[in-house]
Amino acid sequence: MKAMANHYVVTAHKPTSVTACVTGNFTSPTDLNLIVAKNSRLEIYLVTPEGLRPLKDIGLYGKIAVMKLFRPEHEKKDLLFLVTLRYDAMILECISDGDNLEILTKAHGNVADCIGKPSDTGILAVIDPKARVIGLRLYDGLFKIIPLDKENCELKASSIRMDELLVHDVEFLHGCTNPTIILIHQDVNGRHVKTHEISLRDKEFVKTPWKQDNVETEASMIIPVPSPLCGAIIIGQESILYHDGVTSIAVAPPVIKQSTITCYAKVDRSGLRYLLGDMAGHLYMLFLDVESRGDGGDVVRDLKVELLGEISIPECITYLDNGVLYIGSRLGDSQLVKLNSKADDTGSYVNLMESFTNLAPITDMCVVDLERQGQGQLVTCSGAFKEGSLRIIRNGIGIQEHASIDLPGIKGMWALNIASGGKFDNTIVLSFVGQTRILSLNGEEVEETDIAGFTSDQQTFFCGNVVHEQIVQITPSSARLISAKTKNLLAEWKPPNDKNISVVACNMEQIVMSTGSELYYIEIHPDELILKGTTTLEVEVACLDISPLGEGITRTDWVAVGLWTDISARILRLPQLEEVAKDNLGGEIIPRSVLMTTFENNNYLLCALGDGSMFYFILNIESGSLTEKKKVTLGTQPTVLRAFRSLNSTNVFACSDRPTVIYSSNHKLVFSNVNMKEVNHMCSLNAEAYPDSLALATDSSVTIGTIDEIQKLHIRTVPLQESPRRIAYQEQSQSFGVLSVRMDIQDATGCNPSRASASTMAQSVTVPSSVGTLTSGKSGASGLIAAAEYGQEVEVHSLLIIDQNTFEVLHAYQLMQQEYAMSLISCRLGEETYYVVGTAMLNPEESEPKQGRLLMFQLADNKLTLVSDKEIKGSCYSLAEFNGKLLASINSTVRLFEWTAEKELRLECSHFNNIISLYLKTKGDFILVGDLMRSMTLLQYKTMEGSFEEIARDYNPNWMTSIEILDDEVFLGAENNFNLFVCQKDSAAPTDDERSQMQVVGQIHVGDMINVFRHGSLVMQNLGETSTPTSGCVLFGTVGGAIGLVSQISADFYDFLYELQNKLSVVIKSVGKIEHSHWRSFHTDIKTEPCEGFIDGDLIESFLDLSIDKMKEVANGLQITGEGGMKQECTVDDLVKMVEDLTRIH
Amino acid sequence: KCPDPKPRITASNNFIVRCARRQMGFQSRNMDRRLTHSRFCPVQTIRLPNDDLFFTCAKFMPGDKNIVVGDFSGEVRLFNMNTGNVESMFQAHDSYIMHMEPNWKGDLLLTSTTWGRPLSALWSMKDYDMKFPLENEDYVEFSKVSQDKILGTEGEAATIFDVATGLRIQNLVPTISNQYTKNMATFSPNDELVLSDGVLFDVASGKPIHKLDKLNQTQSGVFHPNRFEIVSNTEVWDLRTFHLLKTVPALNQCTPLFSPLNNVIYALKMEQETDEDTMFDSSFKTIDAVDYSNIATIDVKRNIHDLVVNKFDTLIAVVENQGMYHSVKESVVRLYDVGRRRDDEDDLEEEDEEDDMGS
Repeated sequence: MKAMANHYVVTAHKPTSVTACVTGNFTSPTDLNLIVAKNSRLEIYLVTPEGLRPLKDIGLYGKIAVMKLFRPEHEKKDLLFLVTLRYDAMILECISDGDNLEILTKAHGNVADCIGKPSDTGILAVIDPKARVIGLRLYDGLFKIIPLDKENCELKASSIRMDELLVHDVEFLHGCTNPTIILIHQDVNGRHVKTHEISLRDKEFVKTPWKQDNVETEASMIIPVPSPLCGAIIIGQESILYHDGVTSIAVAPPVIKQSTITCYAKVDRSGLRYLLGDMAGHLYMLFLDVESRGDGGDVVRDLKVELLGEISIPECITYLDNGVLYIGSRLGDSQLVKLNSKADDTGSYVNLMESFTNLAPITDMCVVDLERQGQGQLVTCSGAFKEGSLRIIRNGIGIQEHASIDLPGIKGMWALNIASGGKFDNTIVLSFVGQTRILSLNGEEVEETDIAGFTSDQQTFFCGNVVHEQIVQITPSSARLISAKTKNLLAEWKPPNDKNISVVACNMEQIVMSTGSELYYIEIHPDELILKGTTTLEVEVACLDISPLGEGITRTDWVAVGLWTDISARILRLPQLEEVAKDNLGGEIIPRSVLMTTFENNNYLLCALGDGSMFYFILNIESGSLTEKKKVTLGTQPTVLRAFRSLNSTNVFACSDRPTVIYSSNHKLVFSNVNMKEVNHMCSLNAEAYPDSLALATDSSVTIGTIDEIQKLHIRTVPLQESPRRIAYQEQSQSFGVLSVRMDIQDATGCNPSRASASTMAQSVTVPSSVGTLTSGKSGASGLIAAAEYGQEVEVHSLLIIDQNTFEVLHAYQLMQQEYAMSLISCRLGEETYYVVGTAMLNPEESEPKQGRLLMFQLADNKLTLVSDKEIKGSCYSLAEFNGKLLASINSTVRLFEWTAEKELRLECSHFNNIISLYLKTKGDFILVGDLMRSMTLLQYKTMEGSFEEIARDYNPNWMTSIEILDDEVFLGAENNFNLFVCQKDSAAPTDDERSQMQVVGQIHVGDMINVFRHGSLVMQNLGETSTPTSGCVLFGTVGGAIGLVSQISADFYDFLYELQNKLSVVIKSVGKIEHSHWRSFHTDIKTEPCEGFIDGDLIESFLDLSIDKMKEVANGLQITGEGGMKQECTVDDLVKMVEDLTRIH
Repeated sequence: KCPDPKPRITASNNFIVRCARRQMGFQSRNMDRRLTHSRFCPVQTIRLPNDDLFFTCAKFMPGDKNIVVGDFSGEVRLFNMNTGNVESMFQAHDSYIMHMEPNWKGDLLLTSTTWGRPLSALWSMKDYDMKFPLENEDYVEFSKVSQDKILGTEGEAATIFDVATGLRIQNLVPTISNQYTKNMATFSPNDELVLSDGVLFDVASGKPIHKLDKLNQTQSGVFHPNRFEIVSNTEVWDLRTFHLLKTVPALNQCTPLFSPLNNVIYALKMEQETDEDTMFDSSFKTIDAVDYSNIATIDVKRNIHDLVVNKFDTLIAVVENQGMYHSVKESVVRLYDVGRRRDDEDDLEEEDEEDDMGS
């Protein structure tokens, strides 16, 4: 039987590492935009005085290699030029139509050559300052140009042969009659600067206006200086050179020697000031000092560099406005910083305004369930160098519980501010069947109280502060108006004929209530309630809402009504209550809660039904019309919708068996589950002791808590300030083990930490007793102890033990000099649990380590003890617990060690058939080995013989970056050209040959390097029925900071999704006009093959963003298997439900 | 002059440093490639027991299962690489098979011998029928883009044949040539050019374009797969300007074999004809095909008659002989895994009779 080899791969957390950023007028001539590239995504922001406002988030079918903004002559706004890693180039324009931004692909084309050697210095792309031509350096010895002189929707590049083979940087010079490039190239004699003038007509270099041989040997970056000065600045490791073809000025400011400058940003148009960022996270200002040339022009006289302060290790910097910069980081959080004119106490001019979470690079991670709620949390090793951190990632929104009261049977709950004199709430009104109870909040104390004007022997339908310092309480019999000062009843309104009130809604100034099918509209005035309108609807009212729409608005012209028997949602206009819009919801489930609300300037009507599903519409505030109806399933029980404010944005809490917070991101509604099992009612509470809180009622209690920052994946950061490499969780000791690396600097007193970090600030630190080395006579150990040069950076590796609750570093065990920590597990051997660390001794002269150690630590009674220390012949790249023994991959080998009663590791057996065995995964008796170059191999441990047998191997030359076992037959691999593939072993094949070869049954391009796979899930398991059967879940973490998952799906479901994916790839027009099949094809240096065996979940999920028309287009012709196994037409609703269920697996 | 600054982010020579850097997004594939091509581990030995055969050349067959081996008596054998057993054989020539080339489908095979007629032939690999003889061609190869043509060499003259019919399509005869002793005409990677006896021909027009300077006596040269260069003995010529780009002493008297991926050159010294006998080298070199720097020299301590690489560059086969064809001591085709260290099998019994490999 064939194993399941159909897979679904989807991004659970989009990449966060910033690789490029630009500023300009993109969305309109007057908008100042920041555009940020994160792997294959583009984020467009509007720069406002309040900060960055996200406008649009675009997924591209390619990893962005270069991004540039440019402005064609006579244009008022900028165009965006992009090149992807697979050489797809495009020019994008933003067309804004009211609030709607459309990205238009003005031109596109693939600029790859089938010949040529891709340059080691990557893809370089530059645009002439007058926007006449784009220049590309993709391959060694070739410069490509794309003339921009005429409107052409096809980007076609012509090649110019370039004598300079190894080019480090290239730019266009300003102020040249013909487009002229300047480049830094390297030959055997060193690095040189050269210029080439391009003839656009002949598509050739026509002359070399000037050159400068033998610039600094590490010169690597060119800054072109704008007119009128022109010329260029060449940035080296220790020196900065300005050259304009005539004069040159070089300076060597000592301050820049500390690290390597990697990026710059121009500050002013005249080009006199530049910001420089280096690998250590220093921010500098470079000034050009000019003097008059005498003829009205200026000439550069001097270059000055000043250290401004510290920032995240930058990948790119862009200057926004008013001294504000955006720092894009690949290795740490990106930042918005402001430059002050005066230095602060620490001498820094840099003031951090906002920080943007970045998980990249994720070098390792583990899945744990610390709160034992059945929901996994991910702890990642993120960032590098001073940006190193652990990140704790949890799906959904966390409620931090501050107080809890046991109170069963709550039917409603409201927070009031009664005669407090301040702005804080001091009272909670709780409604029960047949009674109402009032709790008064006094500091943290809660006590039951009475209020004169209130009635307490009835259930309350609504209670709240209203205008003129009054309070409204509505019960089945009447609406009561009470003074918030005197607490006395001021007025009471009863429906005619003493009918019972059944449903109500109220805002600061207005009330609507119904008694069956009659609807009354009442306005709140000082000391009186005035009936302003009444109507009778054809059927009974099920739910009502009168929420005002918009910021600071306290009244509205609209009432939303949900009706019983005809199952409709309607909008009525006040005060006459005439119907302006009606939507028949369909089906047989009654609407239970309606709510009008505004998210990101869009008005919505939400309508929740009795089965936990919810419709939502765009509500036109002018006409009251309802459009763009969509449906989503939130829970399985009747749902109550409540609006609340959190961090200055509107959110809606859907109370049900699956509590959900609804909010808007990128103009799209997001449904994020809350980490509570069930919530029946909720209200906002802003009390003195509980500011910005929520009160949440369950069947048995009321909880007061605060809500985490709203986002789908909640991320908590534990800064380490050094690079974490590996993490392992040890349940027994309630701790995490982390391998991390810090940089020490060799100075006069020896090796000293360059800054305080986790391993230096731990509660207890163990430093190796001697400057120990493994000096065994035969190997060239002399290289190991050679003293580091003065000022040289030296890596120091440590094992950190971190408390699972507080995330404090309890212990730091420092390894020997030149000893690299390579692998870490927590495992149970014999009766004890150990942290096992695999190491390697670095000799820079050798291509591969010859020695290393296996260190076994025991953590007990808050003491970390080294129990065993075994020398091994190489680097231990990976470790695994295997049948009560210790499995290690050491250089090319896989070795099994027994833990003897004498507490020693004894080698039991070995396997030799790899180049470098980098990764190990185990299942039962099987071991999967991932090799540097030779893909994956499956071994079986033969218990009787005590030996390994090679069962099957993938013979493709894949350079692996991570592996995982999906089941007994199916194996998942990731390789260094950013592809994912699945191999299957075929135990039933007739010949030995066939059995020993794994078959590739699935492959897809993910566009990011996967560093780690872990079995586990971020969502609560087994939550009710799902229409989408997926089995198993493997999470992965990438260099770009993305988290994704791979799940197995049935063949039938695969076939259906495959068809859906094909239809989506036609309906959704990709930005840049890259084919979806091209993007997802398995692509390496040697081959490009179609994606197979994988469904692209990112494309499938984008179905939910489509307009209803497009959804219909997609659904048209799709068939699903209905009840009884019959094929039937698939409706839009079927598809929405299915795709929404799929989004719930992450 | 001040001392030059040291680069800070260097691709470290030691793999464990690169391994950590790769996880952060700093790739250094060149160094990894150099590491893998500095070591080779013998994994299979192909020989015929009870036979005094003398293997002369080999090629991997498409399909990754078989290797085709030619011998001194003109026989061609197909061996299963896993078992080392002969799967089939046929008599192609009457003497020493000097060169073979299967097509990508594996249904055709070109062979060349040193004497007797025909000197070369095209064979069907289904029934081992000779499709047609190439009577006077002492070296033959398929065209490189579509394999629908055969380029034959007869002394200084090159001839293009049609694969389907065996008909002569074009003769490329230089007016002035370099008179190399071992001219082997070759197609450029795009089949638009032919290099024969130091003269570059444009295939479309049949006209010579350029004659390279003669700087050695034996070989004409081959095209670098990067399509910008010609490697002719120790000289590297820029195909676009015909300037001499580089001199690579390590390639002296070597046949450069470009690996199908990974940018590596396997360089094997050609046999040297001395007074009494031909001499073979007992080592081969690996050279970085990007910058022509030496990677490693691998000594196998036996005479190497041929060296071939599989399509993934994961396996090489070396025809290793001891003694000469008239006094055979041992003749084997040995398969080596690329990148594997031999001495990792420390605690395993010594493998039969292999000698130590240098590196």
